[in-house]
Amino acid sequence: MLRDIIKKEILDNITSPKFVFTFLLCTILILLSVYTGVTNYRAEKKEYTAALALNKKNMESQPNYASLAGIGIKVSKPPQVLGTMVTGIEEAVGRVAPVNIAADPNLIDSKYSSNPVFAVFGSLDLMFIVKIVLSLFAILFTYDAIVGEKEKGTLKLALSNDVPRDRLIMGKAIGGYISLLLPLLVPLVLGLLILLITPDILLSGQDWGRLLLIFLMFFLYLSVFFSLGLFVSARTSRSSTSFLVLLFIWVVFVMVIPKVAVIAAGQIRPIPSVHEITAKKDAFLQQIQSEGQKGVIEWRNKNAADAQKDVKAYQEKFRQFIQDYQQELTSKIDESNAAFERDYQQKKRAQQSLAVNLSRISPASALTFGSMTLARTGVDDFDRFLASVRAYKPIYTKWINSKLGQSINFQTGETVQLKIDDMPQHIYEPQWLSRSLARTIPDFALLAVMIIVFFVGAYVSFLRYDVR
Amino acid sequence: MLETINLTKRYEDGELALDGLTFKVEPGEIFCLFGANGAGKTTTINLFLNFIPPTSGTALIEGIDVAKDPLKAKRHVSFVSENVTLYGNFSAIQNLDYFSKLAGKRNLTKKDYAAVLERVGLQKEAFDKRVKNFSKGMRQKLGIAIAVVKDAANVLLDEPTSGLDPQSGREFLEILVQMRDTGKSVFMSTHDIFRAKLIADRIGFMRKGRLVMMKTAKELAHEDLTDLYIQYMEEQPAQPAALSA
Repeated sequence: MLRDIIKKEILDNITSPKFVFTFLLCTILILLSVYTGVTNYRAEKKEYTAALALNKKNMESQPNYASLAGIGIKVSKPPQVLGTMVTGIEEAVGRVAPVNIAADPNLIDSKYSSNPVFAVFGSLDLMFIVKIVLSLFAILFTYDAIVGEKEKGTLKLALSNDVPRDRLIMGKAIGGYISLLLPLLVPLVLGLLILLITPDILLSGQDWGRLLLIFLMFFLYLSVFFSLGLFVSARTSRSSTSFLVLLFIWVVFVMVIPKVAVIAAGQIRPIPSVHEITAKKDAFLQQIQSEGQKGVIEWRNKNAADAQKDVKAYQEKFRQFIQDYQQELTSKIDESNAAFERDYQQKKRAQQSLAVNLSRISPASALTFGSMTLARTGVDDFDRFLASVRAYKPIYTKWINSKLGQSINFQTGETVQLKIDDMPQHIYEPQWLSRSLARTIPDFALLAVMIIVFFVGAYVSFLRYDVR
Repeated sequence: MLETINLTKRYEDGELALDGLTFKVEPGEIFCLFGANGAGKTTTINLFLNFIPPTSGTALIEGIDVAKDPLKAKRHVSFVSENVTLYGNFSAIQNLDYFSKLAGKRNLTKKDYAAVLERVGLQKEAFDKRVKNFSKGMRQKLGIAIAVVKDAANVLLDEPTSGLDPQSGREFLEILVQMRDTGKSVFMSTHDIFRAKLIADRIGFMRKGRLVMMKTAKELAHEDLTDLYIQYMEEQPAQPAALSA
């Protein structure tokens, strides 16, 4: 009997105009999003390769180390292949972090900063389609699942037979869910085929694992709205009321809670602005620079007599002093910047954590954070990248300072030829799947809990439902 | 056999919908129940189908207490409701197939369904057409076909003839007579006094949840049913009749 109910439910759904509409729209949107994602990824990959080459060429073309120290180097974040599915904050946050001896590294050159129109409309990625469009379809498929049958009279007719209510609701849930997944699965498979046949896209074993987990999260997210739809449908006596209630809940879940959570977290745990932090860092930098000038003058005054005695020894001593002093001052800058940054990051993390936890009441937030973490395109990944650049900065500074000290030949006045082969390289280790999974467990758990709560609600409500 | 013993239903808002209803519908009998809107006719059917629990008293189908063992009781009853729209995207045969499977009839073929649909008077061209394009009369015939396929010993009909054209109404009555002739107990709530008079073996009048009059077809033979209807519907206060099954 359960099989008959499931079969009927699927057949009833797939022969309806709403299924045809959903299927067409899903196919168009999903294929469009995958195509856009693939095109963007290929362009970003080209840009990344070009940026690396250009950066190297630019460094090599500098006349000396002093000049190189002035321009610094640019560390670029590699594009993530799963950004084709979940763009995350990749387009909003910069991908390049300039590193030099003075300023603290930060991300610059975001897609949105270069072309603000992208910021106006946002990106059309798969996550957006699932979060907004398919969740609405889940509502469309379920708002009248119970109450609609009551209005048609078919519920009374079905229950006039020896059909247990629990079997009927199970059949409706399973059949309805399969009907909802069909318009999603077919274009998803086509989208995966596009990924497979695109030559520049190489998915590792870990990427496939991540992709499967992202899809699992999509299905769980849709299940939340599906079971919510069943629940509301089993609690109302008119399908129009059911639809309005569900639309209201959808707006609250998808639009209101995530934004309110961020605003509330900002009010509860305020943090200094980036400008404040930058101003503090700049003030300290100026202080150190003037200290440095004073230090050099003092050293010269103190050692002026030596210059008269033995010029060569004096110059050597001066070079050593400059090298040590430069290193000492830049270490001070780094330490001070690190202290400011630590304090700022600690406060920012607390605020972010509060915002994330508050917003997780909404399944849309759980989906957003979870899928971005799995795709490595979320806040975590950019924080990790920036942290790796900041960790790299003192290493680079030490190297360039040592080169600067050695680069001046006081006898000839010539500068040493610039060589960057021994320059330490920035290393960015992508997060392991196990670590990403551990971070997304709360999101998976929250979605699972919501599904259980809404489905049990629907189940119990239907057992007591007034079919008249 | 359908039977109620002192069946009473009081809703949560205090409204007394049924007040000690007692009657029996024997095998091979058509019992028509009249009453104004809110008299308790549909409540009686809802209690037979366990859609609502009784406040007191018992509804029995084939001697099985519906409130105690609803699933077992429902195996012995078919139901035809007033305004069933069925699954609009399904054809008549698909609708029939689904509901017959719910009724436990699993081995029927498309041919069997076609025979039943033909028997209830549905045109052959409509068998495979989507039900959403059906007229009310066609849908009612399909509703009857669903009841016929189930082939239960008892049939409950909730104002099944409302909105039917004369031809469809006549065909419908013929099917009910056939059902009676095969030994089924038929209980029909209706406002349609003229059609009911043609086929009913017994007629009951309900007012405010009470059965106020019951007469056999023989007793009604020389009476004007319209006058009787008006008399019992308007009479104040309700006088419970001495009832016998």
